[in-house]
Amino acid sequence: MSLRDFLKSRWLSIAVVVLVSAFSAVLLLALKAGPYAAAYVSALFLFGEAAALAVEYLKRRSFYRDLLSSLKRLDKKYLISEMLPEPDFPEGKILCEALRSTAKSMNDEVGKCRRETADYREYVESWVHEIKTPISACRLILENNPGKLSRDLQQDFYRIENYVEQALFYARSGSVEKDYVLRRCTLRDLVSSALKKNAGLLISNGVQIETESLDLAVSADVKWMDFILGQIIINSVKYRRARPTLCFCGSQDGNSAALTVEDNGIGIPQSDLGRVFEKGFTGENGRQTAHSTGLGLYLCKKLCDKMGLGISAASLEGSGTAVSIVFPVSEMYGVVDSPAPANLTKL
Amino acid sequence: MAVVFLVEDDAEIREELSKVLKKYGYECRTSDDYSHMADVILRVKPQLVLLDLNLPVSDGYCICREIRRKSQIPVIVVTSRDTDADELMSMNLGADDFITKPYNTQILLARISAVLKRAYPASPPQVLSCRGLELDYGSGTARSGGRTVELTKNEVKILSLLISSHGRILSRQELMNALWQTDEFIDDNTLTVNVNRLRRKLESIGLKDYLVTKRGRGYLV
Repeated sequence: MSLRDFLKSRWLSIAVVVLVSAFSAVLLLALKAGPYAAAYVSALFLFGEAAALAVEYLKRRSFYRDLLSSLKRLDKKYLISEMLPEPDFPEGKILCEALRSTAKSMNDEVGKCRRETADYREYVESWVHEIKTPISACRLILENNPGKLSRDLQQDFYRIENYVEQALFYARSGSVEKDYVLRRCTLRDLVSSALKKNAGLLISNGVQIETESLDLAVSADVKWMDFILGQIIINSVKYRRARPTLCFCGSQDGNSAALTVEDNGIGIPQSDLGRVFEKGFTGENGRQTAHSTGLGLYLCKKLCDKMGLGISAASLEGSGTAVSIVFPVSEMYGVVDSPAPANLTKL
Repeated sequence: MAVVFLVEDDAEIREELSKVLKKYGYECRTSDDYSHMADVILRVKPQLVLLDLNLPVSDGYCICREIRRKSQIPVIVVTSRDTDADELMSMNLGADDFITKPYNTQILLARISAVLKRAYPASPPQVLSCRGLELDYGSGTARSGGRTVELTKNEVKILSLLISSHGRILSRQELMNALWQTDEFIDDNTLTVNVNRLRRKLESIGLKDYLVTKRGRGYLV
């Protein structure tokens, strides 16, 4: 608050004092009290007003200066009401009061939204778990009644499962909670687990698997990686050409290890490549094949970001796509070093 | 024949999973007395328990805890809850493995046989015999009428799969899926090569037409 703004806001009281002092001076002169007495009285008036204004100004200035500088420093501006010093002038008190009750009401509102989101997420998770029981039942029924019909249906159930899985991870990817566990494992563990999960799809589409230098230790959540690699595998199968192959290749570079999944499919046009991780982006390939949601790679990116992994895609249109996941090899992460339960690593 | 006890409240899954397990040579027992499940299991004395977590009356954790109090029967938790907390809880209560629904049947079977092998190291037959052929896992050889032939790892696996589903046609996809579950990510051509080589080896010990190809459907022993 500059002095000028302050004086401007007090113009009425200044004007009144000036008028009153001028009027008293005129009065004293008219009563023949002499020019000295008149000057003295009006000076007294003016000095008194100036002193009062100065005290008022200094108080306000220090309060508002604190307010603005705290506001500037604050990362979350809505916490300002917690940072305010108690002012000793009435407007400041009113301002504080107003800010506090605004903050409180907003906190309530945010809390409500948060609870609703958590509730919804909980619902999605429980729905996903419920739907898995009938899907399992159907899969077993198909298994027990082999034939062409059941083979076709199995493919469809595989797709249903994938969409259900996507819904689960979509619900998880949005929450602020950290609900993954980074464990020490090798790239081979991750690849092998994902290949087993997607064995049906890969075998029925005649995909040839190659693996190369996968004995590198990394830190990752096995279930999340199952999902991420699953999405990449599904994409490779979806956008395959004749004689599909899928190569899982590990590499190490200074402080990081990378897993590259390379296919020999139709590839991604150069113009689309930069946007494949965007939500809802389907691109040229997505328009040509009907079943593209633009969610798979978006979720991969989001989950990788949450786990602190890097993900990137490279492609040559007409000859293949390579998706690389980069694992920082660092002890800084909260890695659970105890061996994972047998089923997670030895799968 | 190993007895597997199935604790599952979804009747359809119970029935169908029993069929699958029977097909792969396990004897399957179930019960729907959920209030005394642990007692029933302890009375039946199965070699393995497949346990669902979401159950009426008391949940799978309680049953697992009760079983562990009196017995070391291997328990595999099969559930649609898939959070780390569930998994940790199951392991802490003494479950031997944890599989989430919907499972790939081949994965389930691979886990069952792994857990059984771990729990009863001496009991699984080291020699599998069928129609005059003896397959020795330990040495990786097949014997018939005094003649012996050495088999590769994949050949042993293929032959044992075919023998254990004796009399039923195994499709190429099923065979490949089962091999994939043991970390052998072989392709179609490799399977053909393996099967042909296996057939020739069997012929060399006098077992002609032991392994039958059903065109377009699969293989049969």
